[in-house]
Amino acid sequence: MTTITRRVATAALAGIGLGLGFATGAYAADYPAKRVTIIVPYSAGGATDVLARQVAQGLSEAWGQTVTVENRPGAGATLGTAQAARARPDGYTLFMGQVSSHGIAPAVYANLQYDAKADFVPIVWITQIPNVMVVPKDFEAASVQEFIDVAKGENLSFGSSGTGSSIHLSGEMFKSRTGLDMTHVPYRGSGEAVPALISGDIDVMFDNLPSAMAQIKAGTIRPLAVTSAEREPSLPDVPTLAELGIPELEGFEAVAWFGLLAPAGTDPAIVEAINAATNEVISGEAFQTYAAANGSAVVGGTPEEFATFIDGELTKWADVVEKAGVRVE
Amino acid sequence: MMDAISAGLGLFFTLQNFLAIGAGVMIGVTIGSIPGLTATMAVALALPFTFSLPPVTGILLLVGIYKGGIFGGSISAILIRAPGTPAAACTTLDGYPMARRGEAGKALEMALYASCIADVISNLALIFLAGMIASIALQFGAPEYFWLIAFSLTIVISISGSSLTKGLISGLVGVLLSTVGLDLVYGTQRLTFDNFNLMGGIGYIPLLIGLFAIPEVIEFYLQRTGHLEANKSDRTRVSWPEFRRSLPTIVRGSLIGVALGSVPGIGATAASFLSYGEARRASKHPETFGRGEIQGVAAAESGNNGVAGATLIPLLALGIPGDVVTAVILGAFMLQGLTPGPLMFQDNIDLIYALFAGMIVASVVLFVVGRFAIRHFARIADIPRHILIPMVLLFCVFGSYAVQNQMFDVVVMLAFGVLGFVMARVGMASAPLLIGFILGPLFEDNLRRSYLIANDAAVFIRSPICWFFIAATVLSLYVGLRKEMQSARLARQLAEKGQLAEKGSTV
Repeated sequence: MTTITRRVATAALAGIGLGLGFATGAYAADYPAKRVTIIVPYSAGGATDVLARQVAQGLSEAWGQTVTVENRPGAGATLGTAQAARARPDGYTLFMGQVSSHGIAPAVYANLQYDAKADFVPIVWITQIPNVMVVPKDFEAASVQEFIDVAKGENLSFGSSGTGSSIHLSGEMFKSRTGLDMTHVPYRGSGEAVPALISGDIDVMFDNLPSAMAQIKAGTIRPLAVTSAEREPSLPDVPTLAELGIPELEGFEAVAWFGLLAPAGTDPAIVEAINAATNEVISGEAFQTYAAANGSAVVGGTPEEFATFIDGELTKWADVVEKAGVRVE
Repeated sequence: MMDAISAGLGLFFTLQNFLAIGAGVMIGVTIGSIPGLTATMAVALALPFTFSLPPVTGILLLVGIYKGGIFGGSISAILIRAPGTPAAACTTLDGYPMARRGEAGKALEMALYASCIADVISNLALIFLAGMIASIALQFGAPEYFWLIAFSLTIVISISGSSLTKGLISGLVGVLLSTVGLDLVYGTQRLTFDNFNLMGGIGYIPLLIGLFAIPEVIEFYLQRTGHLEANKSDRTRVSWPEFRRSLPTIVRGSLIGVALGSVPGIGATAASFLSYGEARRASKHPETFGRGEIQGVAAAESGNNGVAGATLIPLLALGIPGDVVTAVILGAFMLQGLTPGPLMFQDNIDLIYALFAGMIVASVVLFVVGRFAIRHFARIADIPRHILIPMVLLFCVFGSYAVQNQMFDVVVMLAFGVLGFVMARVGMASAPLLIGFILGPLFEDNLRRSYLIANDAAVFIRSPICWFFIAATVLSLYVGLRKEMQSARLARQLAEKGQLAEKGSTV
């Protein structure tokens, strides 16, 4: 019995292998031959979802094939990411990765159900959003240096949209670099945290630029610096943290970013095809308008560039998380 | 000012805008009436369609969906005891008993009247008092929220049904269940038992559907007594005296909705329960609540629709989204290159007036579409139960799966169905569980946030708003408990005299 079972199993496996090999070859030539799904690990309506729907619409038009978005929210984006990691690597299930799934979460969660590097192949880096260091309008510091001077010896608080968000960890990064003592006050989403900042319940926040923009324009909160490597076009007078000449903040860069990935094992030819099509879509007028209104910078580029970037992110956040001691067992 | 108003009206009076409102409300009512598909989801999914529309048209489409969705939720709440949207959970308490009695048409009609009136009141608050209300809302920090939630939690007393003790247990179970998942501050796992699916907490919608709709399904298969009392559901109508009697309840519910809607983060579900609790407290016959009291439906539906217009107050006046729906609407504004907030009242005032005009029209459209919808939906109550109940079960499964596309949620829904059934059998009301589940995290978050901000207990009495809600909480506890004890004593006396044969009836 055993031999027969084993023989059957071997034959079946061989069959599957052959089939897969054959299928992959066939797929690459006429990809996409059917509907493509982009998994979004957040609910409909959030920043990641809206972006994914923009890209999906563009790709649908480019390919003449339906591209749908599937929302699989839960467990701080890690649930949907784990499911995408286990999807069949045939190019028909893609994943909208972001700073959380492929930067912060691997550092924060000990029992993650996916490996950000081994389970995915990067396709293309789509956009990035800087975080902005904002204080209430009456806060007694006009610059980052003054802020540090005020904060020394005091226990200021910094708000965030939730523990483990890029907003939280940007604050932790600032805290560990400057050696300041600041208490983290988490809210559920920026929408709840910003009013607390306006009223001065919290002293500072490293908010995503789009969610802070309305209040910055209204003058209820004041930007001291942005966390990206370059200045933000929509706030030309606001310096970057890195350019200030403060030794502790040299090279400081913390951005929220988004990009497409596929499950590991996806045919490189298909990855190339998706990369080319997506680059086309995001350099188009419709997407550029959307990104500008939304305060995000369009990036694009090759799969290799995106892979290098992700590697850097994983290392950077692991370091921040270790120093801040926010790892979750 | 007049120029701005006429410019705004000029901007509004286009065929496209009317079509957008009509389509929005229709989509909202339909989606809202399907358990598991919420108004929030519908608004989010419609967002991409607004990119190509003019700003006013796009926003009005979303507003229409939102308003329609909140009313739509009451349809399935009344007819099959499965709240179409979370905010309609409270509507099941009296709406479904009315439907069982053959008064589905009447319950739906009252739900519509209450929704539309609340909608109008909410719009008026937005149009005339936005600036003032917004500046009060901005004074709500963590300690103020803490006391507001403490006050809201006292409604558990009013919705506990026949036994206050059992109601409190139910409420505490809800609070306990709400702590499952990742801890807000430290991110540690609580009560997840290393189950990956529980890391994000227990799903709100699966819990809701399971708790309310499934017990009916189980009951049906156990008893098979199955039909509704003879009903010509579309014939029963709300009479003028009934309407007049309910009007104060509706106005009170609307104001509660406006108040809770204008502070970010509380939401329509809490508002409807608070309105319900207040209506019961104000009633001369609180014992009729939970057994098909038409004022119960009026209270619940005015409470949740009162929130709809008011959530736009912090959004338009301050640029702060109070819930997911307004966050999506904020997204729609930003994509059009507009930034809601004080500046918008300076730079784009014509657009604001156009929106106001559109919102008033949306209330009227909701009434018309609602009339049409209930005439047809009410027939569902005529479907024989042996056909209807399996369909309900199907919708429950579909609805819980649809939220996150996770099979785990279906399991959660079924588990809560069994729990709800057991609770009903032992005479324990399930509404307090839901309230505990919704308000528990807000209570805890704001308690901990208050300490993080100040590291000093004095923060809890830092402002007049704190004091106001402390007083309200104490008063509510005192009045509520006294009333419950009185009615318990009365019931005991009656029982001793042998005049009360009925036993064990519950909400």
